[in-house]
Amino acid sequence: MMTIREAVSGSSIASVEHSDAEQSTVNLGMSPTRAALMRARKHQGLKIALGILLVMAVFAVFAPWLAPHDPYLQTLSLRMLPPVWVEGGQWEYLLGTDHLGRDYLSRIIYGARISMTIGIGAASIGALIGVTLGLLAGYFGGWLDQAVNFLVTCQLAVPSLLLIMALVFVIGQSITVVIFVIGATHWVFYLVVTRFATLRLRELDFVAAASAMGCSRFQIAVREVLPNLVNQIMVIFTLEVAVAILNEATLSFLGLGIPSPTPSWGLMIAEGKTAMFFQPWLVILPGVSLFILVIAVNLLGDGVRDVTVTNRRN
Amino acid sequence: MLNYVLRRGFMALLVALTVSFGTFALFHFATDPAQTIAGEDAPQEMVDDIREQYGFDRPVSTQYFNWLGGVLRGDFGESFFWKQPVVELIQEHAGVTVMLALASLSVTILIALPLGISAALRPNTWVDRFALSTAVSAQAVPNFWLGLMLIIVFAVTFPIFPVSGDSTWRHFVLPALVLGASSVPAVMRLTRTGLLDVLSSDYIRTARAKGFIGYRLILQQALRNALLPIVSVLAVQLGYKLGGSVVTESVFSMNGLGRLAVESIFNSDIPTVQSLILIFVLTFVLLTLAADLINAWLDPRIRMG
Amino acid sequence: MKTRYPDRLGRRLTGLFLACVLPLYACADQETDTLVVAFSKPLTTVDRLYSIQREGLILSRLTDDGLFFVDPKTLEFEPLAAASYEWVTDTQLDITLRDDVIFHDGSRLTAEDVVYTFEWVLDEDSDTSRGPVIQRWLDSVETLAPGRVRFNLKLPYPMALRDMAVSIPLRKKGTYEDETADAPLNGIGPYKVVSFSAGREIVLQRFEDYYEGSPKAGPAIEHMKFRVIPDQGTQQAELLSGGIDLMLDVPPDVADNVSHLPNVERLEGNDIRIGYVTLDAAANSDPDTPFKHLKVRQAINHAINREEITRYLVRGSAEVVDFACHPRQFGCDGNGPRYRFDPVKAKQLLAEAGYPNGFSFDLWAYREKIIAEAIVNDLKAVGLDVQLRYVKLNVFSKVRNDKDMEAFFASYGSGGTADASASTGVHFARNSARNYSGDEALADTVLAAERTIDPGERQALYRQALNRIAEQAYWVPMFSYSQNYLLSPELEFPVPKDGVPRFWQASWRQ
Repeated sequence: MMTIREAVSGSSIASVEHSDAEQSTVNLGMSPTRAALMRARKHQGLKIALGILLVMAVFAVFAPWLAPHDPYLQTLSLRMLPPVWVEGGQWEYLLGTDHLGRDYLSRIIYGARISMTIGIGAASIGALIGVTLGLLAGYFGGWLDQAVNFLVTCQLAVPSLLLIMALVFVIGQSITVVIFVIGATHWVFYLVVTRFATLRLRELDFVAAASAMGCSRFQIAVREVLPNLVNQIMVIFTLEVAVAILNEATLSFLGLGIPSPTPSWGLMIAEGKTAMFFQPWLVILPGVSLFILVIAVNLLGDGVRDVTVTNRRN
Repeated sequence: MLNYVLRRGFMALLVALTVSFGTFALFHFATDPAQTIAGEDAPQEMVDDIREQYGFDRPVSTQYFNWLGGVLRGDFGESFFWKQPVVELIQEHAGVTVMLALASLSVTILIALPLGISAALRPNTWVDRFALSTAVSAQAVPNFWLGLMLIIVFAVTFPIFPVSGDSTWRHFVLPALVLGASSVPAVMRLTRTGLLDVLSSDYIRTARAKGFIGYRLILQQALRNALLPIVSVLAVQLGYKLGGSVVTESVFSMNGLGRLAVESIFNSDIPTVQSLILIFVLTFVLLTLAADLINAWLDPRIRMG
Repeated sequence: MKTRYPDRLGRRLTGLFLACVLPLYACADQETDTLVVAFSKPLTTVDRLYSIQREGLILSRLTDDGLFFVDPKTLEFEPLAAASYEWVTDTQLDITLRDDVIFHDGSRLTAEDVVYTFEWVLDEDSDTSRGPVIQRWLDSVETLAPGRVRFNLKLPYPMALRDMAVSIPLRKKGTYEDETADAPLNGIGPYKVVSFSAGREIVLQRFEDYYEGSPKAGPAIEHMKFRVIPDQGTQQAELLSGGIDLMLDVPPDVADNVSHLPNVERLEGNDIRIGYVTLDAAANSDPDTPFKHLKVRQAINHAINREEITRYLVRGSAEVVDFACHPRQFGCDGNGPRYRFDPVKAKQLLAEAGYPNGFSFDLWAYREKIIAEAIVNDLKAVGLDVQLRYVKLNVFSKVRNDKDMEAFFASYGSGGTADASASTGVHFARNSARNYSGDEALADTVLAAERTIDPGERQALYRQALNRIAEQAYWVPMFSYSQNYLLSPELEFPVPKDGVPRFWQASWRQ
């Protein structure tokens, strides 16, 4: 019988699970890593994604050197300048300025930093929670498994955006809070994969044998399960990064995410919204940046899945 | 079977209670509901009066169980902000959300199923690639931003649809598109992979090779099997839409439950927030349960298990 | 200062818009004689006695009349449902009612209705939002004769007519006991409520039996609709596409942008609202807060570029204010110290106070985020480490009332009252949650002023209070607000002097 969990994982992430069984039959005669690399070299989406992400990561990491201005520097007399290609734009402010006269290009560059930090941070926290719970639940079973199952049901049944909003509202707005709250509400997929793998492993004989030799059984489980899961977790991780980035943008847009004056793309869209019919670039530019970043991350995720797990498109 | 349904129902209740108590406690510790009721420029004496009158000085657990007692009698309490029974509020707002959820679900089905099916029938052609890039784009576009862009284009530049509100069917077109688009990727991919699986299964392959069945039969036979997981996913998506139209309703100023929930969070309107969360959770669990039952009905194999 | 015109894209948009929208929508509202106005906040009730929102006040001016009203031209308090009044003593006020006032349900206004209304509000159990306003000074109301009532005051109170005009609309006797009434509101104003849906809209219709002798008689427009649209962007789009006729409280940027379109008119008017920053001089938040030092507070006053913020961000007719009141309020004429923008001096004062390297604190705010951000930036520029805590009002109020803020940016509209008692009085009273000065003597001055009837004496007392506030730099008074309205050009609408629109004055241009 289908459970909520299986139904939810009907999204793209789920196919990771299904293809698990086929994995061993395909890569005959070649080391899995080499096969994966071969496929990666031919994978268009993956190459494009990596290219975009590389550029964005460079900007994010080296923002202080690459941004033309201080993203926080306010010059009220130069507020709301249009981008350079629009009448009235100035070369000094390529993408114009915002309502406090801050350089928009610099803010967008720093925004990449915020989005990536939050995406990676939240996805890591989610992975940590999900994998740990999955190992514990899968290995020990019993009431622990049931408790974790209850948690998952709670997690899935609550509209996650609403839950995140309530938590951020109550705890207070800061980058750290946003990372932790998003992370703490996105761990189910990791858990599902890890728990399943651990459960199967437990039934195998060699674990029992190893434990007879004096190793802690849980240690064995961890050591045996995790390496096999790296690919799947990596795919989930990438897709969760994208989800986290979008979540943060939505939160900030609704006024419950990153606090001002930190340049978050979602926040910039919210701030530009009142002027969107007249200075549309205030809304379009951060929106497009967000779109490109998320699409690249998603393509990366799809690509990683295609090359590490069996390629289901053929 | 009955046992299973009962267990799931009990679980749902437990989940709802846990979550609502959590919300309740959080809000009581972090905000001042008395000030919420009194309003911005209210004199201090008034705020103090209200605090006493509503019993905000009592322990949180006492307050929670009082509320819960009311819920069991069908009384969800009175909204701090609206000063009317939460039940009435929910009745007033539910219609819009249900309409929007159903409309956007139709949008999802109308886009995702044809795309998924045609992609599966012609894998690795431009059709397939088009379907996949649609999915990838829809997955990456921020919901609220898409809403704003649609307003700029279809409500102001070319005023075909109204900007905001929820009074006629035309008000629902743009929001349903935005909300519907967000579920397209999941449903499309699932349709495609599901159908591909069935099509590559031995009996269909043989039948096709021998020229026994045409596309009509494929659609009838294969789709029926492929539909099983899709029904579940659609149920889940409907659940998300009922509770997750938060952003869309805000962007288009629609008076649904999602926006009510967001505003209630901002207003620290505790009775409304927790009643809504309770209702969202229950709805979600009931929908997924319903999906299971439908699956069981569609697929006799499951019924046996 | 250069004014920025909409860019090319904007103009193209405008052109398209003109081509498409105008023929479709232009005269729709005038034809149906319906004025559609956007409200940013949902109204929880149409009964002014139970509302504390500004929107409630705006609506009440259409649906309700009180014994007195605020004359839109002079902002004086004049008789409305009252025919005449007489102060018998300092604490006794006799009022004669008009005899032609009719409720929306068709019944006539009597002295009993007036007594009922005031007794209802005075009653603690009735729990109106207006109770605290009059309970302080009003002891009882009695019927003298048919059509005549007497008010017995607890103490001499100069603002009695104001409170009656602004806060107490008249109700039919038995209104709150009668649970069968199906009309949303039974008032005596020039418009009656046709329908009310809390988060969505309020529909009004002209009340044809409204008494002709009223200064508000004969409104031009038959139907009015108030639509709740919380988002400014959406309101703009609605205005552009003809969904609404009038936008209130328009942010200056929006007003500048939209008013360049030929089919939208911009009106600008005063508001009695002022913005200010309060500093924790009483050291409530932390006994060691730097703000207990006068020099630190003065430094903050010098560090914020109020001129630039007012000019670029508040704009319009907004002006820098130097004292803790709105310049157009009675009693607002302090002559104490004024602080010029002088970051060098600010740094010097900080050093003298023992903070040569600045210090760290949170600035709290709940509205006008852009301005709050600009303030933070100015303070950072003199070496202070400031974090902006921009929160929703209820959180803000909670923390402020707990006296846990070191500094906050807020604004106050004085309920539209042109008297310093509504601003200085409210903020520096002894038990006020907004009072972060901890100054007992100042509180005494303010209290004395509130209980003084003689205008000259009151003025002197307020001057004394305002000068004290300025000398001690308890506040950084920031600016007065300007109000922007955007409306369709068919609409004629006189700009209110106190920032509270009176839509019974609106009419269509022929």
